[in-house]
Amino acid sequence: MNTLLKIAWRSLWRNRRRTILTASAVVFAMVLALFMRSMQFGSYDQMIQAGVNQVGDLQVHDTGYWANQSIDRAFFYKQELGDSLKSLPEVKAILPKLETFSLASYGAQTKGVLISGIDPQEENSQTNLSAKIIKGNYLKEQGKGVLLGDKLAEFLKIGVGDSLVLIGQGYRGLTAYGIYPVAGIFHLPSLEMNSQLVYMNLPNTQEFVYPYQEGLLTGISIFLKNPSEINEAQKQIESRLGKDYEVISWKTILADMLQTIQLDNVSGQIMLFILYIIAAFGIFSTVLMMTMEKRKQYAVMVSIGMQRTKLIAVSVLETFIVAIIGVIIGLIIITPILIYLHLNPIPITGDMAEMYLEFNIEPVLPFALQPDIFIKQTLIILGLSLLSALYPVFYLSFFKVLNAFRH
Amino acid sequence: MSIIKAEGIYKTYNETHVPVNALNGVDLQIEQGEFTAIVGPSGSGKTTLLNIIGGLDLPSKGNIFIEQTNLKDLSSKQLIDFRLHHIGFVFQAYNLIPVLTAKENTEFIMVLQKRPKKEREEKVKELLEAVGIGDKANHRPGQLSGGQQQRVAVARALASQPKYIIADEPTANLDSKSTHELLDLMADMNKKYQTTFIFATHDQRVMDKARRIVTLDDGKITSDETFDR
Repeated sequence: MNTLLKIAWRSLWRNRRRTILTASAVVFAMVLALFMRSMQFGSYDQMIQAGVNQVGDLQVHDTGYWANQSIDRAFFYKQELGDSLKSLPEVKAILPKLETFSLASYGAQTKGVLISGIDPQEENSQTNLSAKIIKGNYLKEQGKGVLLGDKLAEFLKIGVGDSLVLIGQGYRGLTAYGIYPVAGIFHLPSLEMNSQLVYMNLPNTQEFVYPYQEGLLTGISIFLKNPSEINEAQKQIESRLGKDYEVISWKTILADMLQTIQLDNVSGQIMLFILYIIAAFGIFSTVLMMTMEKRKQYAVMVSIGMQRTKLIAVSVLETFIVAIIGVIIGLIIITPILIYLHLNPIPITGDMAEMYLEFNIEPVLPFALQPDIFIKQTLIILGLSLLSALYPVFYLSFFKVLNAFRH
Repeated sequence: MSIIKAEGIYKTYNETHVPVNALNGVDLQIEQGEFTAIVGPSGSGKTTLLNIIGGLDLPSKGNIFIEQTNLKDLSSKQLIDFRLHHIGFVFQAYNLIPVLTAKENTEFIMVLQKRPKKEREEKVKELLEAVGIGDKANHRPGQLSGGQQQRVAVARALASQPKYIIADEPTANLDSKSTHELLDLMADMNKKYQTTFIFATHDQRVMDKARRIVTLDDGKITSDETFDR
C-alpha cells in the first residue's frame, strides 16, 4: 500500500498546477456549500427557536382540543397534574396557559386580539418577556394590568395607565368582559404578535373567561431539558397522563412553519446540487486528463505484472487525495468565518427586515455550527470526488494493454 | 529443455474490417539462456510474435507454452500474475514509472511479488551496481539519460528473476555508444544470471551480438541461424 500511495502522491505533484486547480474547485465547493448550509440552518434554527420559545417543546391539552380549538375544550388545572409533569426528569419547566380571543377597545378604536393568560414569573424565566417591555412595567403576580404589543397600542391609540376594554366569549357560553389598565407595552420580533397579542395575568384571564371556578387552562407548555429527546419525552408524558390529556409536539403546533422551512430547504438543495455538479465536473475533467495522459504508463504497469485492481487503487487514491486536500483547506478557510458569523449574526435592515418581522423572525442572519452540516458536506464532496474516479475505474478495468501502447 | 514453445501460431487482426494476417503458422522453440534476435522488415510480425511470447497478446490459432503452461489456458488475471513472476520486459521507450527513482523502479516489481524488504534492498543494490548506475539510484527517470534509463529498465526486468526477458527494439532510441554499452550489459547479464533474452530488432548491432537470429517475413519464419559468440 505504501508504494501505491507513494505513486499516487507523487503523480499528483508531477503536475502541480493542475492538482492545485482541482483542489481549488473542491475548496470553492466546500466553502460555498458550507456557507449556504450554515446560513440556511441558522435561519431555520432561529425560526424554530423563536417558535418553541412561544409554544414550548410540548403542549398538554384536554384530549381533542388541538383538533377543535374552542374555549369550551379548556380544562381545569389540578395540582397533581403540575406536580406529575414537574417530577419528570426530562422536564425543565412548565407554563400553564389560557388563551382566548376577544375584542379590545379603547376610545373609538376596536380590534380582535389574542389574550394569553400567563404566569408572569414562569413565563419570564422561560421567554425573558420582561426584557421586551419598551414602555411601562412587566406584569405583577397581583393586580389587573395587561401588556400590549406596540403595534396594537399604536392602533388603539392607548398608552400605559389607560384602561383597555375587553369583550369576548367565555367558557361554556358565558360572555367575558372586563376593563384592564395597561401596565406595559412590549415589542417582540413579530409584527403579528405586536399587533394582536395581549398578555394578562393567568388568574385574571381565568376570571375573565370563567369567574365561577379557578384553574381554567387551554394548555400547559412544557420545556424540555434536552429538546433533541423530544420523542422519548412525549411518550413518557403521554403514558403518565393517560387518555384524558393529549400531548402535542411543537412540530405539530408549528406545522406551517416547518413546511415553509422544508420548502426553503428544497430550494437550497437545488442550489447546492448545481454547485456540486460544477465541482464534480471540475474534478472529473482533471481525472479524465490524468487517465488519458497515463494510458501508456498504465499499460506498462499491467505488462510488467501489476494487477488492474492495484492500478485502480492508485487512481482512486489520487482523486481521493486531491479531494481530501480541497476539503481540509476548505474547512480551514470557512470554519473561522462561520464561527465569527455564528457569534455575530449579520443584521438585516430595511424592507427585508420588515419581511422577516412579518414571519416572526428576528431580522438577523444567524449561522448554524452543527457538526452534521460539516460532516454531511464533507461526505458529499468526497463522494462526488469518488464518483469522478469511476471513469478511471471503468477504463482501468477494461483497457487493452496493446492499444494503450499504441497511443 | 525449451522454455518457450510456439506451435502453429497464427495471428489475425480485424481492426480495420480487412483481416490482416500478422503471423502465419510460426513454430519456434527457445532454450534456457539463449540470446536471440527476431529480425525482419517492418510489418513482418516481429512485435506481434514478441507480444505473444510475452503473454501480452494471445494467438488467434496455435499454442504458446512457457515450460508446461499453455498461456491460452490462463485467465486475464492469471496472465498478469504469470508475467510478473516469469517474464521481464525492456521497452523501446524505456517506460519507467516517472514518479519513482531508479531504485524504486527496480524495486517496484519485487514489491508486486511481495518479496521481503531486506531481500529487495539487497537485490536492488546488486542490480543497479551490475547495470552501472549504482550512483544514480535516487535519480528519477527525468534526471537520467536515455541510456541510463534503459539500464534501469534492464535492472527492473532482471529484478523479478524472470525465466526470460522480452526486449522490443531496446536500442532504437539510443546513440551508438549507449547501444554498445547496453548490449554488452545484457550479454553480461545473460551470462551472469543465465537469463534468456529475446529481442525484436532492426538494429545490426544487436544482430551482431545475438547468438541466434530468427528471421520473419510476412508472418513466417524464413530463417533460423545460430552463431557461436
